Amino acid sequence: MPRRIERAAVVSAVALLAEIVAVDVLSSSHPGNPSMLFPTIDFAVFFLVVFTGSWLLRPHKIAWRWFILAASCVFYGWWDWNYLMLLFLSIGINWFLGLAVFRTLTPEGGRTNASRWLVRIAVVVNLGILGYFKYFDFFVSTITEKMHSIGISVDAPILNIVLPIGISFFTFQAISYVIDIGRGQWRKPLTLLDFAVYLSFFAHLVAGPIVRASEFAPQLDEEPDPRYVRSAESFMLIFRGMFKKVVISSFLATQIVDPVFANPNAYGPLAVLMAIYAYAIQIYADFSGYTDIAIGIALLLGIRFPQNFDSPYIALTLQDFWNRWHMTLSRWLRDYLYIPLGGNRGSKAMMYRNLFLVMIIGGLWHGANWTFVVWGAIHGSYLVAERIVREKWKGHELGLPPLLVKAMQWFLVFNVVCLAWVFFRATSVDEAFTLLGRLFASHGSTAGVSMLLLVVIAASIASQFVPTRFPQKAEVWFATWAPALQIAALAAGLVMVDALGPEGIAPFIYFQF
Amino acid sequence: MSPQPKSSGDKSPFNWRSLFASFRPRREGTMPAGMILVVIVLAFCVAGLLDADSTLRKSNAKGDGIRNEIAKTVASVTDALHINFFRNSIDDALGKNQGTEIDVEELLRQQAEAETAAAAEAAKKVPELTAPTPAEPMKIWVGGDSITQTFGTSFQRITQSTGIFTPTLDYHVSTGLSRPDYFNWPEHLVKNVLPANPAILVIMFGANDGQNMVDANNKVLERYSEPWMTEYRRRVAATMDLLKSPDNQRITIWCGPPPMGPGTKTHGMDQLNYIYWSEAQTRPWIQYFDTWPFFSDSNGVFAANLPNADGVVRGMRQKDNVHLSTVGGDRLSWAVIDRIGKLVNLSAGNVTPPPTQGPPPSVVERTEIPPNMPGAE
Repeated sequence: MPRRIERAAVVSAVALLAEIVAVDVLSSSHPGNPSMLFPTIDFAVFFLVVFTGSWLLRPHKIAWRWFILAASCVFYGWWDWNYLMLLFLSIGINWFLGLAVFRTLTPEGGRTNASRWLVRIAVVVNLGILGYFKYFDFFVSTITEKMHSIGISVDAPILNIVLPIGISFFTFQAISYVIDIGRGQWRKPLTLLDFAVYLSFFAHLVAGPIVRASEFAPQLDEEPDPRYVRSAESFMLIFRGMFKKVVISSFLATQIVDPVFANPNAYGPLAVLMAIYAYAIQIYADFSGYTDIAIGIALLLGIRFPQNFDSPYIALTLQDFWNRWHMTLSRWLRDYLYIPLGGNRGSKAMMYRNLFLVMIIGGLWHGANWTFVVWGAIHGSYLVAERIVREKWKGHELGLPPLLVKAMQWFLVFNVVCLAWVFFRATSVDEAFTLLGRLFASHGSTAGVSMLLLVVIAASIASQFVPTRFPQKAEVWFATWAPALQIAALAAGLVMVDALGPEGIAPFIYFQF
Repeated sequence: MSPQPKSSGDKSPFNWRSLFASFRPRREGTMPAGMILVVIVLAFCVAGLLDADSTLRKSNAKGDGIRNEIAKTVASVTDALHINFFRNSIDDALGKNQGTEIDVEELLRQQAEAETAAAAEAAKKVPELTAPTPAEPMKIWVGGDSITQTFGTSFQRITQSTGIFTPTLDYHVSTGLSRPDYFNWPEHLVKNVLPANPAILVIMFGANDGQNMVDANNKVLERYSEPWMTEYRRRVAATMDLLKSPDNQRITIWCGPPPMGPGTKTHGMDQLNYIYWSEAQTRPWIQYFDTWPFFSDSNGVFAANLPNADGVVRGMRQKDNVHLSTVGGDRLSWAVIDRIGKLVNLSAGNVTPPPTQGPPPSVVERTEIPPNMPGAE
């Protein structure tokens, strides 16, 4: 029963997490205020220094590692130097636990009782730190309110904890590292320096993608040829990310999403519907935009990150949606939660339970609020329903043209995803229902709804259906341009993004998770 | 003769002519790191020159020291060479950064010259407005920055429900008095708001004003420094003076911003509140409204969740800990209406807040605003 203890560890950690958040009734995310956002001059200067230093030092493996670690510390410390200590703490604890787990394995890499306990400790410690920063204040305030409601006066401390940016991301990466060692998948633990570079690497530090040590560490030992840097793909990724974040996401947020979600009662069905669709595009543009920039930046330094988005809004099933949306989180949840819980093994009821539970936990990962639980529950329920329907209808034909069936499937999945986003975006479940109720209102403002808005929403959805070979061909073609032409194109692109974007750039949505 | 194309495997020294030859990478989509550095640096330089005016505006607002000096220098060079034409044309096409057409000082001078002795005397008292009735409702305007978005929408809905007001909501996100280059509130008030002749204006600024300003001499003033405070006070006073009506028949409820929560970069609100409050003391047509106690705990510290009059604790703020939630907007709206009721007879309307929406009676405005409250946010 090699998996039993590990499964127990995961379940106990999940139970702890669930216990922490079970009493949470109010929203409390404290969005961080990263000073060095990617689309800023500060970051541009920082990156030029790092790019130059990185390629100069690449042949000197140890010096390069120290340089990258220092750069990552500057990047993270720019936001708040105090939280660097937290990052170091996470690095130290997880590296030590990873080493300890490795040493307790059998010579063949088999698990022992000690290794299982150490993995358990690592999971609990990591989730404990995450839980403290994410859930403590609301846990305390909710308990205090409950006590007040039954006549017991408690003067509990509210610490006004500010959520360190990226903590959810680097914590998940750290957990995956220790668990992988415990599973015997890593036959050689990383050195402290390598692990520090892996966990703190600035390109994925604050909002992913969630890169695994097995993907990152081997690249540390490689020596990429500086003559063959994938410039065209990087430039395209960075430009596309900036456009999505600075222009599309910001436009949709200020034009309709923020006003309608802030005060749904003032708006009528059309504006509310457009706000819901616009938010679906906004969160995609924001998060995938960030990921595009992160992947592009890492690629310029010779590091390849895994893909994180693959046109998620073209999905015909919700299962397919999760194969395309935040792919690195999806596979993390699959490998470190779904499979340890039993996965597809066992009865169908257990499989459905596992699916549902994973989505609930995935929701809670985003924050301590019932809105995220509902978001996870919608996804979990639909995923379960999808499997049941698929099995029941296996071999049955509707007698409709295949294209129409596909269109109906797409429409259904897209709208279910949008429905779930309403809860994701709303401050409370009540507010989400208020907003949904306005879809059936007989009156209300249509402010914010414009032809431009409709075009942006429609074009954003349509762009997902463009086959990937087209942008790939464009990249290859761009790479053949004379450098002067590339310079002109990049400069014009930067100016256009700046001109089309708002004054100032809101932090990326996913920084707060 | 055109220069020979440079391939990615070429180890020859860098040649500027190679920048202009089409590129033939040995591996598809690649380029040598050195050439990438050249491309990025030059692209940034070209973009920096084309975008110099925009960069200077942002730098003036938040930049400091050497960065601002660099931005100024670059902007002056591009201005002289007319390189900023490209970006400014885009801005013109998009209707952005149109600048101002009015001179506030000149307007105030004209206002003072036109003011009769009787009007000046009348302005020493709080305007006495005619009591509104359902038959003759009172025009009321509510506006300001993005905080006013939620508050104003609540206020609009609630004042409408009283039956004695005809409200107008007019908020502009990311605005305030610090950046007239981005949005010129005095101009907007004079050109678009006052001509509609509202009897009461409810206005709120401040949340976006904690940024550097540029004074009349183009000097950058560091936020919350003494010169900054002086300049900000001057702008507040001028805006307040613009809102005076010649017949003393208009009241402005000037709402100070509420405390901002942890994790936000918006701070120093009560220092601004002190300026609003102290300037309002000498202007009876301006009534300062202190929002602070309505969104803080008994110690005057930010509180995201507070009880309304029914004793039920509710979330008053949005996730960002800056903007008000709908519940918070309702709470503030009833508090402001209560304040208006102390200045104008509102008995003809339904102005009693439901306990689920209004603040508890124990929450009251402060009698005076301290010059600053260290650690209050």
